[in-house]
Amino acid sequence: MLAAGLAIGGLGLLAGVGLAVASRVFYVYVDPLIIEVEEALPGANCGGCGLPGCSSAAQAIVVGHLAPNACVGGGADVHEKVAEILGVEVELKEPEIAQIGCRYSVAKADIKYLYDGVNDCRAAMLLHGGAKECPIGCIGLGSCISVCPFGALSMGDDGLPVVHEDICTGCGTCVRTCPKGIISLTSVSNRILGEFTTDECTAPCQRTCPAGINIPEQIRQTAMGNYLEALRVIKERNPLPLVCGRICPHPCEFECRRNLEDEPVAINYLKRFVSDYERESGQRLELFKAPETGRRLAVVGGGAEGLTAACFLARLGHSPTIFEAMPALGGLLRTVIPDSRLPKDVLDWDIEGILELGVEAKTGKALGKDFTVASLLQEGYETVLLATGGWDAMLMRGQEPNLDQAIPGLYQLLPLSLAWAQGMDVPMGKRVVIAGGGDLALDAAKKCMQSGAEQVTVLYHRSQKEVGLTDSEVAQLGEQSILVHFRATLSQFKGVDDQLTQLVYRQTASSNGSEARGLVLSRFKETAIAVDTVITASGRLPEMIFVRVPGLEGEEAPLLWQTILPYHKPARTKPEALFAPTEPMSDYRAAVEAIGAGRRSASSIHLYLTGKQIVPPENMITAETEVLDVKQVVELLPVGPRQKMPERPAAERIDPALEVELGLDEEMVRNESVRCLNCGLICYVRSKYH
Amino acid sequence: MSDYLLLIVAAILVNNIILARYLGNCPFLGVSQKMDTAVGMGMAVVFVVTIAGMITWVVQYAILNPLGLEYLRTIAFILVIASLVQLVEMFLQKSIPALYKALGIFLPLITTNCAVLGIAIINIQEEFNFMQTVVFSFASAVGFSLAMVLLASLRERFPTARIPLPFAGMPIAMITVGLLALSFLGFTGLVK
Repeated sequence: MLAAGLAIGGLGLLAGVGLAVASRVFYVYVDPLIIEVEEALPGANCGGCGLPGCSSAAQAIVVGHLAPNACVGGGADVHEKVAEILGVEVELKEPEIAQIGCRYSVAKADIKYLYDGVNDCRAAMLLHGGAKECPIGCIGLGSCISVCPFGALSMGDDGLPVVHEDICTGCGTCVRTCPKGIISLTSVSNRILGEFTTDECTAPCQRTCPAGINIPEQIRQTAMGNYLEALRVIKERNPLPLVCGRICPHPCEFECRRNLEDEPVAINYLKRFVSDYERESGQRLELFKAPETGRRLAVVGGGAEGLTAACFLARLGHSPTIFEAMPALGGLLRTVIPDSRLPKDVLDWDIEGILELGVEAKTGKALGKDFTVASLLQEGYETVLLATGGWDAMLMRGQEPNLDQAIPGLYQLLPLSLAWAQGMDVPMGKRVVIAGGGDLALDAAKKCMQSGAEQVTVLYHRSQKEVGLTDSEVAQLGEQSILVHFRATLSQFKGVDDQLTQLVYRQTASSNGSEARGLVLSRFKETAIAVDTVITASGRLPEMIFVRVPGLEGEEAPLLWQTILPYHKPARTKPEALFAPTEPMSDYRAAVEAIGAGRRSASSIHLYLTGKQIVPPENMITAETEVLDVKQVVELLPVGPRQKMPERPAAERIDPALEVELGLDEEMVRNESVRCLNCGLICYVRSKYH
Repeated sequence: MSDYLLLIVAAILVNNIILARYLGNCPFLGVSQKMDTAVGMGMAVVFVVTIAGMITWVVQYAILNPLGLEYLRTIAFILVIASLVQLVEMFLQKSIPALYKALGIFLPLITTNCAVLGIAIINIQEEFNFMQTVVFSFASAVGFSLAMVLLASLRERFPTARIPLPFAGMPIAMITVGLLALSFLGFTGLVK
């Protein structure tokens, strides 16, 4: 008995001591935070966070690859505990709910063959990607329904899965299961940030809309009489629906598939109706706002673009402030567009709506005069968005050439040339860069040399052949300390306090001297050069985001700043750059384009603030993307003609303050909205289904 | 030499630790849904069983037999195996982090795996010498891995198979295991 006890006890002791020694010998340093976090996690190793176990999740959370609230199984208590350990505040998570991205079942869509195999989407997918003609359409065998651990999905009467939003937890199991990838987790923030991609079912109208409104959904809601829901859909992409409903050139209607049959749906009239409906009710539609982040952001420019950017930044939870040089917000919408097309009280209603979302506005404050980029960053604004937009403000304000430096060290070529012509003495730095401007740039370069510059660099976005300079001319200029670079565009400014110090330009590779236009020139090299003064030939300032470069801290420390490029809706052939002729910001043809750009700027800033890369989705649809489409429509429902906009009688139009277009009435809206084919990629409403 | 060959064939096919001896069913059914986890588990088992076989053999013949405490075999072996797995885990984390990551959570799972204990006890019951113990332990663990991989490759096809609803999930897995065991019965007589 004693021997037995001693033997086992001894063995146990040996094992214990051995392990204790081993734990010292084989000690591996593990961040104590990781251990603490791991203890706070449920330890169920459920894998809901996407990692194989709680210990790898703890590691990812501490390193920052996962958010403190990444644990799906743990719930709010665990999230708070983890956040407490890490010393951060848990970011309130906006619920994400699964959404089915297909609207036409196999019965209604064009199909390639009849499928009679294993009753599972993943199996059907193996056979030429499913029976549907549409490469991204729902296969309809309900794999998502059988995998949903919460029973939040069921098959609807129309052969498409239906999400029960109150049960859905946003776990993403269906998203991972669907072989077509048509299910996505969506939230208001996601819809604000999103861009249409080739993986989504999109109608021609919404692909064309510069603001990217989900037009089929807007009209579907309108047709059902849910006018406020329709407005909500619009406001997720366009915060100025009253304005756009009146002045938008509606490129969407040119692409409307009804054009193949008769006349396009009056999309813009319908938009005007639902936004007027809200205004006439006097009750403002409650819009969703993401939880407050408390981050202060500055938006310079209170026009369509600045208002849009500020509105969406506020809806994403940030605290934006608009700085506007004019006494009132609105930009061109207020100053240029006549009352007969856009009454001021209509504009005011839209602007008030934006301000009520928590946007602050400071009017009568001009950049470069009343404040500078550096002073804003110093005041605690984390980013400064330049959205001064499409106004040649520099030339229009007064007769005197305006040499205000909106961006430190930046002159515009025309006012500068004017000032020189009037014999004014303009202070000039030692190192000057001139971007663009043809022969005038070379004249200016020589003038700069006379005014005290020691080195002038001229950047032409065009090739040497297009500019028309010979090699000997370039060499001659070089002797005068004037360097010329071709195919070069600005991409970044850097500076200290109110001083420009450096800029970065991109040079695209010349493809063996061949000057073929439209060639894909996505490869470029970036060069940084020191600079004191930059002169741009563009009359406008493109939008850019100024941010602080982390550096010295303290009261007296100089403030380092740099610009970052917001992402655009790029065309393949055009490299991204500032002030480039291809640069979409500098020349908006319509408010709706500025609105689209404003939303992308807001989205870029949000990506920057959340530490993500500022790039659009890889498969974003651009003007040049090939998208599956149909060339003719058949078996349409018989509907009435396009509704005509009622107009004020000609005799009454003398008064310029009276609006000419009066808006559709509800009856007309009903007749118009049923004309919509509710198009998808290749599907549309056909009579045989009804 | 041919003795060892026979021992290996017998351990892997004829007396397969899972399909013929019905040991280690818990991880067999638990982690055989995906091929990569099955392979990971199989590797971990091969690793641990071989070492555990050796150590327990030493414990048996160096401690228990001389003291006449053979009846304490089970408890002593469990103790040894449990601490061995801990030790192996620490050693791997320090010395071969790549292998440690690959085996991941499977290592601690083996601590209480009856296949490990079973093989250690069979080693003693069959009165193997040390070399036979090493070979038999290794081969049995390979047999375990083989069964895991076979079942995983079958179970990976379940999601697209037309399985009657009442059988979906664990029932069809049990039936599959049964059929697999039946087919392994065919190896009986391969080695006499």
